[in-house]
Amino acid sequence: MRHVPDGVLRRLDDEPLAVPDRATDHAAACARCSARRVQIADDTERAAQLLSVPRLVPDLDLAWASFQRELDRGPEERGDRGRPARVIPRRRPRFPSLSLRAALIIGAIGVVVAGTAAAATLTTIFAPTRVAPVTLDQRDLQAIGNLIGLGDNRALGGFSAPAGSTALRFGTLKWTSPAAQPPSTLAQASAAAGFPVPLPSHLPAGVGAVQQFSVQPRVSATLTFDAAAGSLDGSSLTLDAGPAVLAQYGGTNGTDMPTLAVVTMPRPTGISTGASLAQIEAFVLGQPGIPPALAEEVRLLGDLKTTLPVPVPSGASVRSVQVAGRPGVLLADSSGAASAVVWEDGHGMLHVVAGILDTHDVLNVAGQLG
Amino acid sequence: MDWPDVGSGMAGFEAFFRDHYAAVVRLAQTVVGDSHGAHDVAQEVFLAAYRRFPGDYEQAAGWVRVAAVHTALNVIRGDRRRDQRQLRVHAVGSPPSPEETVIEREARAEVRRVLRRLPRRTAAVLVMRHGGMSYVEIADALGVKVSHVGTLLRRAESALRKEMDRETRS
Repeated sequence: MRHVPDGVLRRLDDEPLAVPDRATDHAAACARCSARRVQIADDTERAAQLLSVPRLVPDLDLAWASFQRELDRGPEERGDRGRPARVIPRRRPRFPSLSLRAALIIGAIGVVVAGTAAAATLTTIFAPTRVAPVTLDQRDLQAIGNLIGLGDNRALGGFSAPAGSTALRFGTLKWTSPAAQPPSTLAQASAAAGFPVPLPSHLPAGVGAVQQFSVQPRVSATLTFDAAAGSLDGSSLTLDAGPAVLAQYGGTNGTDMPTLAVVTMPRPTGISTGASLAQIEAFVLGQPGIPPALAEEVRLLGDLKTTLPVPVPSGASVRSVQVAGRPGVLLADSSGAASAVVWEDGHGMLHVVAGILDTHDVLNVAGQLG
Repeated sequence: MDWPDVGSGMAGFEAFFRDHYAAVVRLAQTVVGDSHGAHDVAQEVFLAAYRRFPGDYEQAAGWVRVAAVHTALNVIRGDRRRDQRQLRVHAVGSPPSPEETVIEREARAEVRRVLRRLPRRTAAVLVMRHGGMSYVEIADALGVKVSHVGTLLRRAESALRKEMDRETRS
């Protein structure tokens, strides 16, 4: 393994559980990394000493009373005290408009890039039981699109045909990606997908009723490595995602603009032959054009056999949440106008709730689905 | 200037205020050093949050932390004579408390001088981490990937050491 980057060694001291075991093991066994870690830890300790302050336990009653007095004085009396604190502007968040099929493809791509599927030898099933965010900016998406032969930005659009194959630098990618079906009722959608579809019974104000259901049949992609992939030659990796049901809600203001989307699908699975997880991950992440920051982020995901990477648009805020006791990923744009939550329910089903809603409302809806 | 009505929303804001005030004060104190300055910064930040996030304080939890760091950095960068004045006042007028000696105040004044000299982003990441923010919170605040925070932090701590060494030599 390559030497552990300084940033990862630094994180090892603060959040050791967020660092992959192999990085931890390498740092412990490698004399060079151990020496760097000691130096980094020295700087960390010195910074902690310099920036430490006497522990202040504020009197909250007094602070609140003071705040109310300031508020009563009004902005004019306060002069410049009432102006908002300046915050360094962040990059403008982008929420790409994803179709259900594209979302499935993105999930599958995340799995490929993460080098998920595949462990041990012969046939191993990838079955994620937790979700974790992976931030993707435009450069990352282009790199992924190029890697799997979809070209610029095609990663967002998914496959162009319901079935086909394409030659890659290191093998062949074959896929089936049938078009989505538009059933008219929940019962029909559930029957077509083959599993019950939970919907929220209480909706936030302004969400309106279900406008339409949509069922995306299973999307499957098989990547067969050739001699250009070196030791992976002859191995294959098959990823299956779906079927998935989308329930789309409309606004109540006379527009047909969607306000809420609820997606239900089995967790994606992966099957590999031949190659090990470590081999595939090392190969895919080492491909030319894969941004080092993306590769490092994927490496930090932890156990890839059981972790589904959730693509996060660059600039969106993301945090871990609990949905009915299960770990999930909550995303929001900086304005608070749109948010989404993704989680695996512990019974093999993956759920996504997304809408033009604040995070509180989205979590409320998610909590009803369990 | 529009200010939200003081009504049912005030109860929600009070709960938010009580949940996050201590964390905001701690971040501010990490920069400005003294408790009075930290409370001033915190009050200013919460007044701005009250106006900026009427009725939706979920979004404001991260914002008040970031605003506290930058407001506090603005304070120390805008008042370069503050440290010397404070040292004079304390040295002549008030006896040092047990937990705050003159030597400690001098050391903190040195740190503030260094924080002023460091690039703002470098100073911010130092204060955020050593003021109690997680890697995820820092990534969100700076608009970078979580995996990049360790690198930024490592560089910032290295820069802090070098600047402190320079400060000591001068």
